[in-house]
Amino acid sequence: MRRLDLAMLLALLPILVCSHLLQSSTARALAQPAYASRQLLWLVLGVVLLLVVASSDYRLLLRLAPLFYVVSLLTLAAMLFLAPVRAGTRSWLVLGPYTLQPSEFARVAAILAAAALAASHQRELLAPRTALQVTAVVAAPALLVALQPDLGVALTYLPILVAVLWLGGLRWRIWVALALSVLVLAAAAWLWYLKPYQQERILTFLEPDRAPAGAGYQQRQSRIAVGSGGLTGKGLRSGTQSQLRFLPAQDTDFIFAVWAEETGFVGSLLLLGCYAAVTYRLFAIALAARDRGGTLLAAAVAVVFATQTLVNIAMVVGLAPTTGITLPLLSRGGSSVLATCLCLGLTQSVWRLRFANL
Amino acid sequence: MTFVRDDLRPLRRRTALFLAVFALAFAVIAFRLFSLQVVQAPTWRKLAENNRLRRLPLEAPRGLVTDCTGRVVMDNRPAFQLLLFPEEMKDPERTVRFLVQLGLADEGEVRARVARARRTSHLPSVIADNLSWAQMAAVAAHRADFQELAVHPATRRAVPAGPAVAHLVGQLGEVSPAQLAADSRLRPGQLVGKSGIELAYQEVLGGVPGNLVVVVDALGRQVSTLDEEPPKPGHPLALTVDLELQTEAAEAMAGLVGSVVGLDPRDGAVRVLLSEPSFDPDLFAGHLEPARWASLVADPLKPLQNRALQALYPPGSTIKPIFAAGALADGLRAPAHSVYCTGTATFYGHPYRCWLAGGHGHVALERGIEVSCDTFFYRLAYEAGIGRLAAWAKRLGLGERTGIDLPGEAAGLVPSEEWSRRTRGHPWYAGETISVGIGQGPILVTPLQLAVAYAALVNGGFLVTPHLVPGGGKPPRPTGIDPAVLATVRRGMERVVAGGEGTARRLASLPVPMAGKTGTSQVIRKKEGVKWQELPWEQRHHALFVGYAPPAEPTLVVVAVVEHGGDASAVAAPVVGRVLAKAFGHDVEISTPQLLLANPHAQPEPTPPGARAAQVAEVRP
Repeated sequence: MRRLDLAMLLALLPILVCSHLLQSSTARALAQPAYASRQLLWLVLGVVLLLVVASSDYRLLLRLAPLFYVVSLLTLAAMLFLAPVRAGTRSWLVLGPYTLQPSEFARVAAILAAAALAASHQRELLAPRTALQVTAVVAAPALLVALQPDLGVALTYLPILVAVLWLGGLRWRIWVALALSVLVLAAAAWLWYLKPYQQERILTFLEPDRAPAGAGYQQRQSRIAVGSGGLTGKGLRSGTQSQLRFLPAQDTDFIFAVWAEETGFVGSLLLLGCYAAVTYRLFAIALAARDRGGTLLAAAVAVVFATQTLVNIAMVVGLAPTTGITLPLLSRGGSSVLATCLCLGLTQSVWRLRFANL
Repeated sequence: MTFVRDDLRPLRRRTALFLAVFALAFAVIAFRLFSLQVVQAPTWRKLAENNRLRRLPLEAPRGLVTDCTGRVVMDNRPAFQLLLFPEEMKDPERTVRFLVQLGLADEGEVRARVARARRTSHLPSVIADNLSWAQMAAVAAHRADFQELAVHPATRRAVPAGPAVAHLVGQLGEVSPAQLAADSRLRPGQLVGKSGIELAYQEVLGGVPGNLVVVVDALGRQVSTLDEEPPKPGHPLALTVDLELQTEAAEAMAGLVGSVVGLDPRDGAVRVLLSEPSFDPDLFAGHLEPARWASLVADPLKPLQNRALQALYPPGSTIKPIFAAGALADGLRAPAHSVYCTGTATFYGHPYRCWLAGGHGHVALERGIEVSCDTFFYRLAYEAGIGRLAAWAKRLGLGERTGIDLPGEAAGLVPSEEWSRRTRGHPWYAGETISVGIGQGPILVTPLQLAVAYAALVNGGFLVTPHLVPGGGKPPRPTGIDPAVLATVRRGMERVVAGGEGTARRLASLPVPMAGKTGTSQVIRKKEGVKWQELPWEQRHHALFVGYAPPAEPTLVVVAVVEHGGDASAVAAPVVGRVLAKAFGHDVEISTPQLLLANPHAQPEPTPPGARAAQVAEVRP
């Protein structure tokens, strides 16, 4: 315990407190009191999981990465056939009163696998072949998730790829080729994969006044919530945008808007600062790691965590289109909390073992 | 897989670069938060307030109106309005389609109302009042789809006495821009009096509207009340009108066209004020449909006109007691002065016929009134000249507005030589004076003016101001006519009913003694030997009767005018007889020749309001 990164845990504590406060607030607005207590259970479980994983040896887990990876891939594939359809997707496994989202845990497996693969390559730059392998390793589960279809979670796989390829090092020609293929993929996705409402979201983001009452409604209400919070906010559980339900998806995608409305600029800056501090500690761990695997693992977790945080908040404040990417630890959802804690636990393990001998 | 201690420096370099990129991204977000929450906060705060607050107008219930005995003439009943909040309208076309399907009005009208609502976008507009249950249910069922609509409880004017008092109480209508500019307490779209009592006593009855500020949630449901400024209800108003007499008059006039005015001759208090044909006052209790309005306006019988004070008729023989009083007072006639009637008199080389072809023989003043001898009054007019006839008429209030506390009163016409030159562009013809002598030609009165003139004849010579609210009106003005003169004229009028030759002697059989004078005013010159029953309705004479009771100390003067009634004693006198008998506690049935009165413009009853709305059982947007 004493060898854990206390700074990160200190930064996490306010986030966890906020998470509980916000879940209570939105549970009240949505008249779903069970949401708050269930989320509190997940948070406690998450912290326990974090500590358990922190006390393990990440090097062992990296060696076992192929196993985790194959299991997760098989689970995701089976999901497409076996999982019940909920809200139009096959994303959830139902276990009694609880639901699990395997795609969240598969992402942890993908991080481990990609980091392990890139770490095994010890030269300054990744060989094109290794780069392709890494791409395939990340793309396979992402595609399976996209088929569920859950675009929001599938997109959270992308930072893994960017992080590992960038850290592993590629020639600039390969970056150009990758950028081009991403463009081609994006165009193909636009034409064949994205549903009209998703296309509308992106168009609305590019042109906010396009349809103030239609697809732009969510983003507009979110910005009203954030802006009307002012300097010090309307007080906990007193946000009119959330309590009167003008704010959509207030317990998941737009939860930061609830906090911003109720605590104002002061509160939202504090919370943003906590996320920044956690991000900083994750990178600090990556820089302090004693080996290639630890660095790659911690940096990949840092990139995934920070990207998800930034994209979500950017969406809430109107700087990014609505994507369905949730805010780690704050948005309601047990699997997301557990998967995030799993990742943070891995980096704590990297930190704990930074001076260990081979 | 093996992990070898190797050179981590390039890896760390790239990691640090990532850190820098994310630090920058966090800074961008922080800056954005600053701009939204600190710089632009007031703008967003206002939008959040608009999201949650709705300002609802609370209409003030209008004052209760009762008759002289406390019976309800006009009160309010609960009704439900449909409000439109223009700012919350996402797609006006869609809203219009929904409103049309609700059956509120035709598409053009709905479109106009929505367009009008959008002009005052910061306030809700009343799109419809008096919603049916089916319409309310349809709006409630689609609340989530049409958050710009809200059903709002309000009150609606109710007139239990119905069409009998429609002209008296008058109509409500949306406040005009001019009224809005003049009175800051009025609101756009508010209903105010447009005619009748509602207009004359708007200040008393109107009250002051209030406000309700409510918090609504994202589905438009009212969550709580933030601020309430209750409306101040209008004050009650008691009228001098006797609802029982008003209803009796309406029953007596059923199917007829014309009016009845009842006045207390002692102070001018109006007891009856009826105009027929009438209309359902409920049509005007809220926002009127233009189609209904157009059909009322286009009706050739002009149901919207208040004939009691707006219609002008030649008074016919009802002018005779007025001229008789003038002649006696000015000394042109002595009570005993007698004229011989052969049935025809010649003036200026033209023959003038008395209504009784065989003539009345010797006729003095009292008998002249009793039998309504035309020859007697031709002679009087010939000797008096138009100047003195006009002076006598004006002395009893004809030719000028009575000053009743109702809007839109007509002034009537008492002609003069100067009037002829100025208005008609030719000199007064001497022969016209003879016609005016029996109330024909260019002399026009309203039924109300006749009532005031007769009140003066029977109250000792005082001109009263008719009024609808106790204590109203100017104090009575003396006409200066000698009481002895009035006594003579009144004896003549008593003989009209009680005398063996009286033109209204059929009223003598009633349980209530009364007196009065018949009058028949020509619409066109009657052809010789044609009975009035054989003429087309439009060409028949107007039938008039002015009666009062009790003859000795009258407390009620009643005027009845039946347009194209043909025969005053058969048609108009029974109406007055019924009302006077009722006033003194007797219900009498007097048959009027109804079958002969069938007029070609009589229309079927209009569809009652709400009947159409009730057909809207199910509405989909």
